[in-house]
Amino acid sequence: MSKPALYLSAASTISHQPTFGNPGFSAALGPVEASSALISPDYKAYIDAGLLRRMSKILRMSVACAKDCVGQAGIGQPDAIVVGTGLGCLQDTEKFLNTSLTVEGLLPPTSFIQSTHNTMAGQISLSLGNHGYNMTHTQNTLSFEHALLDASMLLREGDRHVLVGAADEHIDILDDIAGRLAFKSDAPLTSGASFFMLSAENQGNAKASLADVYTSGGAGYGQEEIDAFLDRNGLQPGDIDLLLYAGTPAAGVPVQDAKRSLDYLSLIGVYPTASAFALHYAMDLLGANSEVRNVLICNTLRKSNLGLTLLKAVEA
Amino acid sequence: MDSLKEDLKKQIIEQLNLEDLTVADIADDALLFNDQGLGLDSIDALELIVLLEKYHGIQLTNPEEGKEAFKSVDTMAAYIRKRKAA
Repeated sequence: MSKPALYLSAASTISHQPTFGNPGFSAALGPVEASSALISPDYKAYIDAGLLRRMSKILRMSVACAKDCVGQAGIGQPDAIVVGTGLGCLQDTEKFLNTSLTVEGLLPPTSFIQSTHNTMAGQISLSLGNHGYNMTHTQNTLSFEHALLDASMLLREGDRHVLVGAADEHIDILDDIAGRLAFKSDAPLTSGASFFMLSAENQGNAKASLADVYTSGGAGYGQEEIDAFLDRNGLQPGDIDLLLYAGTPAAGVPVQDAKRSLDYLSLIGVYPTASAFALHYAMDLLGANSEVRNVLICNTLRKSNLGLTLLKAVEA
Repeated sequence: MDSLKEDLKKQIIEQLNLEDLTVADIADDALLFNDQGLGLDSIDALELIVLLEKYHGIQLTNPEEGKEAFKSVDTMAAYIRKRKAA
């Protein structure tokens, strides 16, 4: 039985591409360059200078996107804040660990406090003055999908608006680690943060409808899971106007009969929660192209994990 | 020019991420924990203790000493010289 749809009314992404404050970006986005850098907005427009100086890259990205998103949605306060992150606050973790190698006495408090994965959700809450439910999910490459599932359950239990998003940051040592692990990808390792306002009802400003989310992790996925997901949503592969998938799965493109397929890692680079960018990309495309009705995001970044997110155009 | 004070100012800017400040913006006698000076807070005080050990090899364990030492760049430099001479 299909569940009632939820509605996405706002989205904000800071990445290596011109995504922030740039509606319609999906039409002009080319492949991300290996030499690209994070495109940061003027953070002072979103974060108090006193707080900003203590914030690492991932915190700045997350808080700025979250505040931008709340502003776009025109909602005073969301009922809950839910964040997904694969690797958490790496910059502060690295700083804290490096200092612990060289300093014997007191260790730096700021980087210690801010090295935990739930710092983003906490800082967003402090910046907004929000006292609602505050949760962080870290499930490797499925962290964002788990945040979406949590947000969806909250809305189906009575919440009206949930701020949900994901962020991961690149630090130099990741390139070294990726090399040692023989990680191969055509796309570079990058940073990114994407936040969304997910609501139980369409207030007239919904840009897309979130129809379903599914995760499967740990043992490798099979094509039958994707088929079952489409089936439970009353869709055939040919009904998918756009398939967004991660990388080049060994088994080939996950839904062969989709009308159009695109590897979203080629646009945004590789980070554990890159599927959050794919959701924003799909929203942006649905808002600009009336011929696109159904978008399936197939998160196959890690071969043992499968994340499926189905987005639909909002019915007029 | 007192190179210890110049170094201290650079280290304070780096350790506390005072991105908008330069060495020239910090007067030797500016009060570090006063809004008329740098407006630092209690977390910054802990960061300054880390700074003393990281860059100068000095462990500050007596909070009363810290209260006096961290008044300004002048007093920090004087504290470092006193500890190194001891």
